[in-house]
Order: sequence, then structure tokens, then C-alpha cells
Amino acid sequence: MRDVDQEQDPGPAATAPYRFADQHTPPAAQRVSEVARTTFEHVYEVDPRLMEVHVLQQVFPNWDTLRIMRSRQDHLEWMHHHFAEKVVTGSELLAEVERESAPTPPPL
Amino acid sequence: MTITEPAPFTTEPLSDDRLHQLVSALRPVLDDDQILLAKTDRYNRARVPAPFPVHRWSERVPDVVVMPRTTEQVAAVVRIANDLRIPVVPRDGGTGLTDGAVPMRRGIVVDVKKMNQIHELDLVNRTVTVGTGISMLKLNERLAQHGLFYPDDPASYPCSLVGGRIGTSGWSLIGSRYGHTRDLVLSFDHVLPTGEVLHVGDGIGGKISKSSSGYQLKHLFMGHQGTLGIATKATLKLFPKPEAELSPFWAFDNYENAHACTGALARAGVATFAGAVLFDEHKVAYLRRDDEAYIPQPADVRALVCSVMYGYEDEVRAGGKRLFRIAKEHGARYLGDEISEGDWAARHDRYATPLHGRTKDGQVIPMSWHCEDAAVNFSNVPAVSRAWHKILADLRRKTDVFDDWGMFAYTSAATGVDYLTEIDVGIWEQRLDDAAWAAWVQAKREIAAVALAHGGSMSACHGSCREGEVDLLPQELGKGFDVMLDVKRALDPNNIMNPGKYLLDRAYGRDTTDEGR
Repeated sequence: MRDVDQEQDPGPAATAPYRFADQHTPPAAQRVSEVARTTFEHVYEVDPRLMEVHVLQQVFPNWDTLRIMRSRQDHLEWMHHHFAEKVVTGSELLAEVERESAPTPPPL
Repeated sequence: MTITEPAPFTTEPLSDDRLHQLVSALRPVLDDDQILLAKTDRYNRARVPAPFPVHRWSERVPDVVVMPRTTEQVAAVVRIANDLRIPVVPRDGGTGLTDGAVPMRRGIVVDVKKMNQIHELDLVNRTVTVGTGISMLKLNERLAQHGLFYPDDPASYPCSLVGGRIGTSGWSLIGSRYGHTRDLVLSFDHVLPTGEVLHVGDGIGGKISKSSSGYQLKHLFMGHQGTLGIATKATLKLFPKPEAELSPFWAFDNYENAHACTGALARAGVATFAGAVLFDEHKVAYLRRDDEAYIPQPADVRALVCSVMYGYEDEVRAGGKRLFRIAKEHGARYLGDEISEGDWAARHDRYATPLHGRTKDGQVIPMSWHCEDAAVNFSNVPAVSRAWHKILADLRRKTDVFDDWGMFAYTSAATGVDYLTEIDVGIWEQRLDDAAWAAWVQAKREIAAVALAHGGSMSACHGSCREGEVDLLPQELGKGFDVMLDVKRALDPNNIMNPGKYLLDRAYGRDTTDEGR
């Protein structure tokens, strides 16, 4: 495993050419906690040492790993749109609240 | 129990002669493709999400499945069942967590999924009338074309059906803004256990939302878990589809501040406030172990709160800023847009989540999700949480079959008076043998007892007719339980409607509480 601070590979685009060897060679994993690691950016896996007895870890080709991860994002975006026309971003409101609560500078 | 028992009490399959008699009676009423006898069709209707010992699944397989298309067909099927004294069990999405759709005495399962039509959309009075076999997701896809929205939002939103929500009297994630199923369903057609058809609502029913005429019967025919009949066609209240959604998630370094903040958010009186959710330390630990959104969170994140608002954008922005100020006063740290928006969107569809748990030494095991719920006042949520975790800890000390996945507390109402309090439990179903099942039933009984001891109700959402908690129903309802028995006996003289649930066999002089244990 590599250090956690290194930049991670977002993975090939869905339209990238298919190469068998490439598909079965995930990027080197980075440890993110005592029990989890990442391969591609935003793709988390259970530490394989914890999947040796009752459930064995399966090998997915990279395209399938990325498909699952991106499909989930599609699903979440669909769900937002299903429930409301738009999403108000919390960080925007927080910035307004912080700005409004900041002490007013004394008049010059 | 033997096959000499009268039909509503036996758990044996119908004999060949009785099955032939039943199918012959159904043929003039239903088309061939509406009568399902194949093993796969019947076994598929025995399944529900609540874990149950695999080696006992075959005890709950119906003799026949029917798929009616109209209220008249449902009524005819129920009349036949009543004449032949064969149990009949309604099944909608089959997503319930208290076994309402499980045919405990076999018989006929009435699967309502072919009754999924939109009969009338009234844009002027803002109502829609639907067959009860439609899902809220599919209904809302159609309503969105008119800028409208039916806001009944359980964690099974994509797969539960309107009829099941009526039979359960379900709870909605955004009920603090829009109300729960009982508030959103105006009226419905309902087939009684004798096959007669009742239209029930406030007073005359139809599209009336408030009447003081006569007894208020609508609630009686909601939340009965299929023991009083089958809802077939419902008229629902509609709202404008929200222009904007806001769902901030905040982190806390201790549970007490998170609990206090949740109460303050709920009590703030913000009109667009649709709900708040409190995640306790055990839930955060579980998420940090296995949920990609939370794995990277620092160790000082020990509790979480989320709040959600729906409405016009200007209202949501103004109300949202007020909630952010309240959260700040309670020491909250905003978790960022990605988690806030992503986690909330995922809450509408928890049944699609693949799950795994851990043995005590950390190895991954396949587990099913189950959750026990209760309705608890805000001030009692911390004490109930502590007691429930202790029960789960005792269970886990005995076996790896159970894993404590932490607790949520969700606002049930805009004022913050009470909370749907739930503990999520991973259950290793392949290892759920008779001893583990008995331990689980006992734990469920203890969990329910804690809720009652703190002035709560055993269930805010799921119902309380599963083994374990159901034993305490007479205690919770008091004299009301005797009234339940009287009502059951009056409306279902032959005990054919979903028998074996809610201790209702006692209405017929039989105590089958320990049946099957």
C-alpha cells in the first residue's frame, strides 16, 4: 500500500479502450483507516485481511468497479431531482451565516 | 398443532381436496394468469425483509397467490375465503418489518400489484385517486409532470406500495413537514373480512380532509397489518413539488450536544423543516467502519445530526440559515456538501444497500439488516439509547450472529415532541438457528419493554405484531387491547383475515402466543 496523501487515480473514462490486462490491474491501494483502503478515488474497500474466513474478496475488473461507483452518483443525483427541482448548498448558507455573524469593523 | 385444527388456526398446507375446492371457486372470478400455484410464485410471496431462520421459511408459504385487478375481484376472493374458512393475507410491497404480509397460517395471499392504476388526478382540489398497488416513486414520476408531489417517504420509498403504507399506517422521513401516511391518505375503498366493501375516510370520505360526522373510522382501518381487510383504492392529498431541498449534516464531538441540537432544530418552528435525524456514537462507529462517506472522518466525530428542508427556494434559504445558526450555537461542525447531499439522497432507498457485519475478531460476515423501532419522547431518547445498546451488547457477547449497527432518532412531528427511535441490528441469517432465534425474540421483547418503561410506544412505524414485542401489546394498550379483540371478532367472525397476528386469536378463545416458538 502507498501513503494516504498521494494523489489518487480517478480511473479511465467510460469510453476508454478496453485492455484486459489493464482492467485486471487496479491502482495500488492506499490505507485510509484500520479496516479500509481505497484503490481509485472515492472507491473504498474493506481491508482484504478481514475477508479471509467467511467472505472472500472478489476481483472486479476496473471498468465494473468504476461503473458501480459512478452509477451510485447517478442514482443520488436522480433522487435529488425526483424530490425537488434544485438543491440548496449548505456551504453557501454557512458562508452567509459566518459573514453575518462576523464583527462589524469600526467606522473609519 | 395438528391438521385436525380448524383452518384459521392450523399451519399445515391445504389438503389436495381443499386446494382443488378453493381453486375451482376462484376460477369464475379470476383469469388463469391471476391465480398462481407454482412453488416459485408462492415462495416469493413468503419473503419479507425481517430476518427469520432460513430452515423455517417453508412454514410460511401460502397455498395460493392471487393477483386481482379490481376492488370487486378482491371482494369476491375474500368472500370465497370466508365461505371456505381459508386464511387470506394481503401483500403489497412486502417491505414491512413486522411480518404483516407473512402468511403465518398459509391460505391465500392477495398480491395487489396489478391494482396500480391512477384512476383520477384532480388538479383543482389537489388529490389523486390510485389503486393501492402503486409505489410512491412511480406515482411521483407521473405527478411531477403536473408540478405535484405525494410526500410519503419511507426508507423503502422505491419499493413499498400505497396499500402497504395504509395497512401499516406508515411513518415518513419528511413527515414533520407534510404529515405521515394517516395524514396524507384522505379516504379509501376497503374490503372487509366478510367480502363487503367499505368506503372509509373522514365522514363521507372522498376528498374531505376533516369531518366531525360520526365515528372517526379511518384510523381504525389503517395500521391493522392486514387483520381487518384489504385497501384497494385510495384518494391522496397532494402538494406542490418542492422547488428546493437542503439537507445539512453536522458533526459533534459528543452525543449530548448532538441530542440538544436536534431538539433545538425541531423546536425552532421553521416552516420548511421536514425532519432532523440524530446519529449516536454506535452509529458513527459503524459508519466509520464501513460507509465510504464516513471512513475518512476524524476520531473526534462522535455523533451526527442532519436536518432537511423542502419548499420554495427563498423559504428554504431563510429557514436554512436559521438552522445553521442553531447548529453553530450547539458546537456543530458542518460536514460538507458532498456528504450532506449524498447521504440524504441515499436515505430514501435504504433497502437497496448491500450489508455486511463483523465477527468479534473483525472478520467480515454476510449480514441482513433489521431494525427495531419505537416512538419515544425527546427527553427520553438518551436513556432508551443506553438501555437498547446494553441489550445488544449482552446478545453479542453470547454470539457473533448479531452486530450492533447503532441508532438513529428521527423527528416524528414539527414540534419535536417525539422521535422514531431505531436501533439497527446486523443478523447473520445463515447462522440463525433455533437458539439464536430464541435469544433474538427475547431481545426484541426487552427492547420493547424499555420503550414502554420510558412512556413510549413499541413502534412509531413498523407495527408491533412480530414475535417478541407483540407479547407486550396488551400492556401497552391496556383496555384498548380488549377493544381490539371485540372489533376483530365483530368484523371478522371466522378469523380468516391474516390470522395469527397481534395476538388476535384470543378474540376467538384461543391463546396461540407461543405458536411456533
